[in-house]
Parts: sequence; structure tokens; C-alpha cells
Amino acid sequence: MLFYSYFKTLVGKEVTVELKNDLAITGTLHSVDQYLNIKLNNIRVVNEQKYPHMLSVRACFVRGSVVRYVQLPPGSVDVELLHDATRREARGG
Amino acid sequence: MADGGEAPSSAKTPADFLKSIKGKPVVVKLNSGVDYRGILACLDGYMNIAMEQTEEYVNGQLKNKYGDCFIRGNNVLYISTVRHH
Amino acid sequence: MAEEENTVREPLDLIRLSLDEKVYVKLKGERELRGKLHAYDQHLNMILGDVEETVTSVEIDEETFEEIIKASEGDSSRMVPYLFVRGDGVILVSPPLRS
Repeated sequence: MLFYSYFKTLVGKEVTVELKNDLAITGTLHSVDQYLNIKLNNIRVVNEQKYPHMLSVRACFVRGSVVRYVQLPPGSVDVELLHDATRREARGG
Repeated sequence: MADGGEAPSSAKTPADFLKSIKGKPVVVKLNSGVDYRGILACLDGYMNIAMEQTEEYVNGQLKNKYGDCFIRGNNVLYISTVRHH
Repeated sequence: MAEEENTVREPLDLIRLSLDEKVYVKLKGERELRGKLHAYDQHLNMILGDVEETVTSVEIDEETFEEIIKASEGDSSRMVPYLFVRGDGVILVSPPLRS
């Protein structure tokens, strides 16, 4: 639940989601669920020349399992809070 | 043998094997074909593995060394004991 | 109890002891990451900071069948301030050398 809880704190912030098929999408995080499925609004594809078919898409739902990385906004990463949450999670199993 | 009976000591389950090789030199082969040779520190039910003094072999060639390393269980094809490390 | 905290009883303890340390992560697709470990869970989902990603592509020379390895320089290496990494792509995690 750690990352689900963490991603909920990022709602409204801009993130870049990199998929396993190398497509990278920047957008405003609209919502996230327990599987780390993600809905993004106001999206733009990072490499538009390579993926012109996404030009007209404004919002998208990304299945959690196809995500490789999410680039996080530096101002929204509280390192101490993450350490504490991780230690708590590790104890709980 | 009746249900619930003790297995004879010669009949080893995979779990018994895994328990018996902790602290021993092993080769771990991944699905990708890469081999890791080192001392097995511990493992869990997902076949996640912690190893020490690990050497990474790609196509039989030494590519990397790690003091400690964690291998995610889903990548593991097999774990084998070795005579020499 | 401090002793208890520092022992490796299960593989994930190795990761726990690497919190707030620089780690090396080998991923599927010939990708490697080096960065500071800020968070992880039992799936090996992780948040890394000051991350360097290296993508290695191997090309086979059609004439000689020799493997030409293109690594680390230029386009194939980049820095990211903070990165969430999905655990299912992880092959190996190596903590820094401990005494």
C-alpha cells in the first residue's frame, strides 16, 4: 500500500510515465488505484515525432503493469517520510 | 506411506534442499541465461535470493562482481550447488 | 535489538539495509540504474533519487557476427532527479559494499 498511498499524494501534480514499450507520457496525475493503474489528464507524448498518433489524445488511463518508470516531481518527494513509511511496511510484512 | 507420516530421511523435498544449501557456494541461472556464482546467504518463498561474493557470468564470461546481491525470484531458472567457487 | 535490525534473515533484509544508500539495479531490457534508495516494497517497486540510467544495446555486425556493444555514453545514459521503478522489471539489486 506504500506506493498507492504515495501516488495519491501526487494527484494534481505533473508526472512523466514511461511505459515498457518506450512510450513516455507527461501529464497531470488525475487518479491512481491499488494496482497503480494511473489516469493522466492534459497529456503530451515526450517524443511526438516518433508517436504522432497520440497527438489528439488529451487524457489516458495507463494499466499499472505496463509502467516501467514514473519520473516524480522533485518538490513532492519527502525523503524522510518515505524512509519511515518503508521501514513500517517492511516490519508489517 | 500413510498420510501425515514422516518422510524417510532419504526423501528430500525441494524445500529441504533449499534449506540445506544456505551458506554454500551455488550457481543461480536466470531465465535470460545469465549465471550468478556466489555464496547463498538466504532465500524466501518467492525464490528471491540474497548472495555474497557474487560473480556474474554472461555467455561463460565474467562480467561483474557484487559484494552482496539480491536477485528477484521471478527471474530464477534454477539454483545449483557447486564443488568449487 | 540493534543486532536484530542488522541481520539478514530473508533476502529483502538486504534491501532494507540499503535504505538511504546508493544502490545498483539491473533491469530487464539491458537497463541499469544507479541511485539512492528512498523507498521500496515487497514487489521491489522502488523510489530512487539522483538516478543514472544506462541502456546498453547490443548490435550484431552482419558481416562478422561480432557483437558491438554500445554502452553508457551519450544518448544511452541520462540522469533523473527522482524515479519510481516498477518492481516487475527488476532482475538484481546490489547494495553498496558494507563492512
